[in-house]
Amino acid sequence: MARKRTKASAAGASVTTVVVMRLYIAGTAPNSVKAVANLQAICGRYLKDGYKLEIVDVCEDPRRALADGVLVTPSLAKVAPKPAAKVIGNLSDTRSVLAALGLPAGQIE
Amino acid sequence: MSPGLLPPVRSSSELTAEAAFKDWVHRIVKEAAELQAFAAGQIDAVMDPATRTAILLPEAQAALQDSSGLALSALDSLPGEVCVLDAAGMVVMTNRAWRAFVDTRAGVGLGVREGTNFFAACRDAAAPERVHAEAVAAGLREVLAGGRKPFRCNYVCHSAGGRCTFTLTIAGIAPDGAVHAVVTRENICERRRARAARGSRRAQASRIAAVARAGTPNRLLAALPAKEYQRLLPGLEPVKLTYGEVLYEPGEQMRYVYFPSDCVVSLLTVVEGHRALEVGLIGREGVLGARLALGNTASSVRALVQGTGRAVRMKSARFLQEFRRSPALQRALFRFTDALMLQITQTAACNRFHMVEARLARWLLMTRERLPSSEFYLTQEFLADMLGVRRAGVTAAASALQRRKLIRYRRGTITILNQQGLEFAACSCYRHVQLMGPKAAA
Repeated sequence: MARKRTKASAAGASVTTVVVMRLYIAGTAPNSVKAVANLQAICGRYLKDGYKLEIVDVCEDPRRALADGVLVTPSLAKVAPKPAAKVIGNLSDTRSVLAALGLPAGQIE
Repeated sequence: MSPGLLPPVRSSSELTAEAAFKDWVHRIVKEAAELQAFAAGQIDAVMDPATRTAILLPEAQAALQDSSGLALSALDSLPGEVCVLDAAGMVVMTNRAWRAFVDTRAGVGLGVREGTNFFAACRDAAAPERVHAEAVAAGLREVLAGGRKPFRCNYVCHSAGGRCTFTLTIAGIAPDGAVHAVVTRENICERRRARAARGSRRAQASRIAAVARAGTPNRLLAALPAKEYQRLLPGLEPVKLTYGEVLYEPGEQMRYVYFPSDCVVSLLTVVEGHRALEVGLIGREGVLGARLALGNTASSVRALVQGTGRAVRMKSARFLQEFRRSPALQRALFRFTDALMLQITQTAACNRFHMVEARLARWLLMTRERLPSSEFYLTQEFLADMLGVRRAGVTAAASALQRRKLIRYRRGTITILNQQGLEFAACSCYRHVQLMGPKAAA
């Protein structure tokens, strides 16, 4: 059992790790809508229940975006686990999103 | 969408030239990944640190305006009257139905236009409306203060068109954090009128039901399951059929089907150069127009009322529709059509082989079966047509039956005195039809 656990951790993110993300969007603007849909598809497929996602609408809460150092939207920030990472755009490139989230690209089916 | 509902962003018209806008973006955005996404057209908004707001890119703004247009069109397509108020009670948006109401009843029933204040309209309401208007203003204040439950009340207004009652519902919404109220108005006068109309239709249906069920109902209808009968009721119309009335002529389209209650209708075959001859008799046991169910819309015979009384009728199209969907009605019609065919074939043979006296006795018995009384009005000429003989023949036959004290015949009124004796006097056809008919089958 202990060996197996070591293998799993060696292979990349542990299945029990919860990925915490924050997605900054601009209301229902086209790229923002796409980003939400793309991210939800990726999470549903690769993270199952192992993630927490907060969506921040910069039109409603611009101060929050500025405080977090976000200048352009849509923009995805990985908060946990460390290291922090960021992806800009409508998240249509699944590889770069998985890389930013710390998931190995080899998992892409 | 009105400015009050737009997200707090600077419009792209403020940043006139495209190049100037790009320069502005490059002054703010420095990171390679962000610039790359901007170049790829994957960016919707850029934060302006100076104003601390989000600046929508022209493309994103155009797309949002398109979706706002869609939302407005959707709102306009709603049949109910809708208006949206901002936190101060100013009307910022109305739909087409609301505007139409305001146009027809200006200044009445809180009919406010865009750009005016709803609280002011409540305050300035006419004296008869004031009590309601004050309640509405209080409800609106509560909703705008963040009340979770929608406010709902009835509002009565008096206009040139008369007294009108409607239900006002006020619900709070908070797009982009700013509280707004959505007011919907539903005219309940119209709803009440519709309910009253339904009520009168129901009353008519129960009247028909009373006609059909009371006294001497049509047996075919009465034999239907209650549920199927109830479904037929709205299409049934009570009528009075009078002696001598022709319901169908041969070759004529049958506009109605008739369910006799206490009248008798003869089916006559018209042969060129001869008098019409009766081939069938229909009373409360059946229906006139059953041929429709067999796919024919024109009558093959003349249908002549020979005993005044009541009936209910139904339009042919409706009857066909009901016939297709009701298996019970189909069974009843097939059974009746079978019995009618038996009666017609037996009558054809009877007319050829039997004596007038025996035929008259049979005919009187058949009529008696279909009428509530043993006394009925018939002229000798009419009887001659029924039996296909000369008038003199009818006189002789009627006199013979009268002498045997089976009937009394006086001034066109026939009274059956001895039913059993008449059955003996009748030809075998009467018993044959009774034996082979639906009762025997049952």
